[in-house]
Amino acid sequence: MVEFTLDGRKVDANEGELIVHAAARHGTFIPTLCHDDKLDPYGGCRMCVVDVEGAPRPLPACATRITEGMAVSTNGPITDFQRTLTEMLLSEHLSTSPGGRPNELLDLANELGAEAPFVLPDAKREEYDDRNQLMGYDPDACILCNRCVRYTQEVMQCSALSLEGRGGDARIVPTWGLSWLDTECELCGGCLSVCPTGAIYEKFEEGTKAPERSLEQVRTTCTFCGVGCQVDLNLDPQTKHIVKVTSKSEYLPNEGNLCVKGRFAFNFVHHPDRLTQPLVRGDDGELHPTTWEHAIETTATSLKKTIAEHGSQSVGFLASARLTNEENYLIQKLARTGVGTNSVHSCEST
Amino acid sequence: MDVLRATVLLAELPLERTRLLDNLGRIRREIGPIGPELSDALADHMNIRRGEVHEVVSFYSFLQVSADAVRVCTGPVCDCFGARELLERTPGAIEVACLGHCDLAPAMTRGDEIVPQVTHSTNNGPAVGLGARDETLAEYAARGGLDLLRNLPPLERIVGELKASSLAGFGGAGFPTGVKWEAVSQEQGLPFVVVNADEGEPGTIKDRYVMELRPHLLIEATLIAMRSLDATEGYIYLREEYATARQRLFRGIEEFQAAGLLEGLSLELVIGAGAYIAGEETAMLESMEGRRAMPRLKPPFPSQVGYLGRPTLINNVETLAHIPAILRNGGEWWADLGMRGASGTRLWSVTGAVGTPGCYEAPSGLTTRELVDEYAGGFTGDVGSIVPGGAASGILPPAAIDAPLTRDGLREYDAGPGSAAVQVFPTSYSPLRLLAETMRFFAEESCQKCTPCRIGNRALHHLFEELVHGKAAMTREKVDEWLLAMEKTSICGLGQSSPFPVRNAMEWWPELFAPLEQGVA
Repeated sequence: MVEFTLDGRKVDANEGELIVHAAARHGTFIPTLCHDDKLDPYGGCRMCVVDVEGAPRPLPACATRITEGMAVSTNGPITDFQRTLTEMLLSEHLSTSPGGRPNELLDLANELGAEAPFVLPDAKREEYDDRNQLMGYDPDACILCNRCVRYTQEVMQCSALSLEGRGGDARIVPTWGLSWLDTECELCGGCLSVCPTGAIYEKFEEGTKAPERSLEQVRTTCTFCGVGCQVDLNLDPQTKHIVKVTSKSEYLPNEGNLCVKGRFAFNFVHHPDRLTQPLVRGDDGELHPTTWEHAIETTATSLKKTIAEHGSQSVGFLASARLTNEENYLIQKLARTGVGTNSVHSCEST
Repeated sequence: MDVLRATVLLAELPLERTRLLDNLGRIRREIGPIGPELSDALADHMNIRRGEVHEVVSFYSFLQVSADAVRVCTGPVCDCFGARELLERTPGAIEVACLGHCDLAPAMTRGDEIVPQVTHSTNNGPAVGLGARDETLAEYAARGGLDLLRNLPPLERIVGELKASSLAGFGGAGFPTGVKWEAVSQEQGLPFVVVNADEGEPGTIKDRYVMELRPHLLIEATLIAMRSLDATEGYIYLREEYATARQRLFRGIEEFQAAGLLEGLSLELVIGAGAYIAGEETAMLESMEGRRAMPRLKPPFPSQVGYLGRPTLINNVETLAHIPAILRNGGEWWADLGMRGASGTRLWSVTGAVGTPGCYEAPSGLTTRELVDEYAGGFTGDVGSIVPGGAASGILPPAAIDAPLTRDGLREYDAGPGSAAVQVFPTSYSPLRLLAETMRFFAEESCQKCTPCRIGNRALHHLFEELVHGKAAMTREKVDEWLLAMEKTSICGLGQSSPFPVRNAMEWWPELFAPLEQGVA
């Protein structure tokens, strides 16, 4: 532990802790836009600059580590810089939240009373239209914080997005301007989840134009595989239908990361063809709703009959990819000791 | 694109990430401009993600441009001397921000060929002695060179003489050289030595003169640094536009090698690809490591954590070129070469409306009038404005021609001597146009990483372009706020110092900025 001064108060911090984190623990919120705990400190947007005694100029709280005896001020004239930097970003922010995602820049602008003094004549960026059906991108909402690109490089270790060019020509674009479908992108949507202005957004047919903050969140476990990612299902408050899936960085084990299925493949929930109760095929050849007891009973009877007639080697087990390790263990136990066959497989094994 | 040739070349290219820029340069020269196919092929060959190579290729101005392209410089001096007209009558020419040949303004390059032909207007100063014009290593040795390399003084004496001389970096920032050498020598781990030859500040041509006229002097000084600090690897990061210097250094290194003077050492040229910001020392390290030349956050400083994470001495070409004379004659001898209390001599790049534009070694502490009259052939007409030391150093009114070109001498003008690139503009060239062109340069060369530099410089460029037509998109109050944010919150020297010429111009020519006072038009 080290001691430092935060706005005149003596407080403690962990050795090597970033100013932005230590300040937050002591109740002082320092605004950031390019910072993300999942990523290496970047210090690009400069929104978090604070005064540090002895430093020749303000330092970024998101990239400066606390040392013993450091004196940090987060208020006073330094906050003027936050307003000016917000004005600068607004002066090329032509589009706000195209997909209804939260816009942290506009939040800051409201809080600080910042307005663009004028619109940069070259603020308009080349439009980007992607044939994929899951993610959209509006370059005019991008503030070049580079979080999305750093996410692809540092977390996903893939080549999906690039920070292209420099100066006024700089832009974020899928690698070489290709469709995401033609890059290494797996459409996990991680870039979208770290974007502070909603420039990258979920591109669904319906229900997503609603502001994300107006949605009801229900926390649950993703059902797609055994990892157990924690997700928030976002419901339309009127229809109670799921309109998007999000996650938070404090959720374990996934730390806010999701895969393409977890984030985007939820439309089965409300699909009319979805099975909602057990069905057993009757003598008429048609499927009929029934109880779980009857369904399991029917399965067991048929299995026993098959084994009696053709031997246990005539039976094989195919386990679903959606099962957990424990469930898969039970399946092989049932196959080997219950039925007496080694023909067990899971599609996860490939 | 010749696929077969590309495949053969690719197979030869080294795989280390530090070779990325070099590999891209070779592909551009031998195959052609680098588009998505070549970029992806190289990424796959080097096992780097394609997106990261795309980021690097798009960062530098020249990688997507043919190696024999015609480039016209529109830096402020060239702009003043007819660059726009030259651009118009040269079909297919590309406009570039600075070619580093302001003494030939307006300058143009056709591939590696400089147009008009390179000439040197210089003098034979006491420390660097540009007049020597060494053609070979033997000539250099005959003039007394190599003695220090053969009889290396101990590090303590070198640091002592450097401190006694008060030699400070000539790249513009002015950090004391002796202190820097000492700091690197005290770090743990094998250090690197990097020569910053990425001269790119408009108006600055001094490092080019050193490399073209006295390449062996620079190489010897670099080897002195490497030997003294126990560095086995040294690099000279040279801007791509300096084709003559490239050939001279390349041949010079070969001569040192043949003479057995590189025993156990490696000294390599790293060729840039068109990015002013790569001259910022940490951006240069990023570039050498195969990434976009975006400045790192400091601290840590390169002397602590530099190239590949190791302690690194980074010195400017001119700074190194003074060191042999300092070690030979003593730090105090060098310090006494200055005038009016300033130490030593400097290489002054003098361009614009003067009789003989060129690079002259003259005492620190002289005035613009003394420099131009005694060395550069006098003023060719009435002086409209002066830039004392490169684009970011400030813009001075004619009254400043009698101010000593030192930090103290220029303090009353809120300017500094920067890289000692004195540019004299005639009365026919409006300071507002000069300012707009200067801000255009900074806006285009900003690496874009930090908000104040990326947006501030662009906004001010647009503002002054419109102000030429009497329109003011921002109020003076707002401009001052933005300038302060740029100066105080930018990551590196580019954004931190670009407000200075703006403030100067607004102070010395208030009438040109009157529309700002009246508010938004």
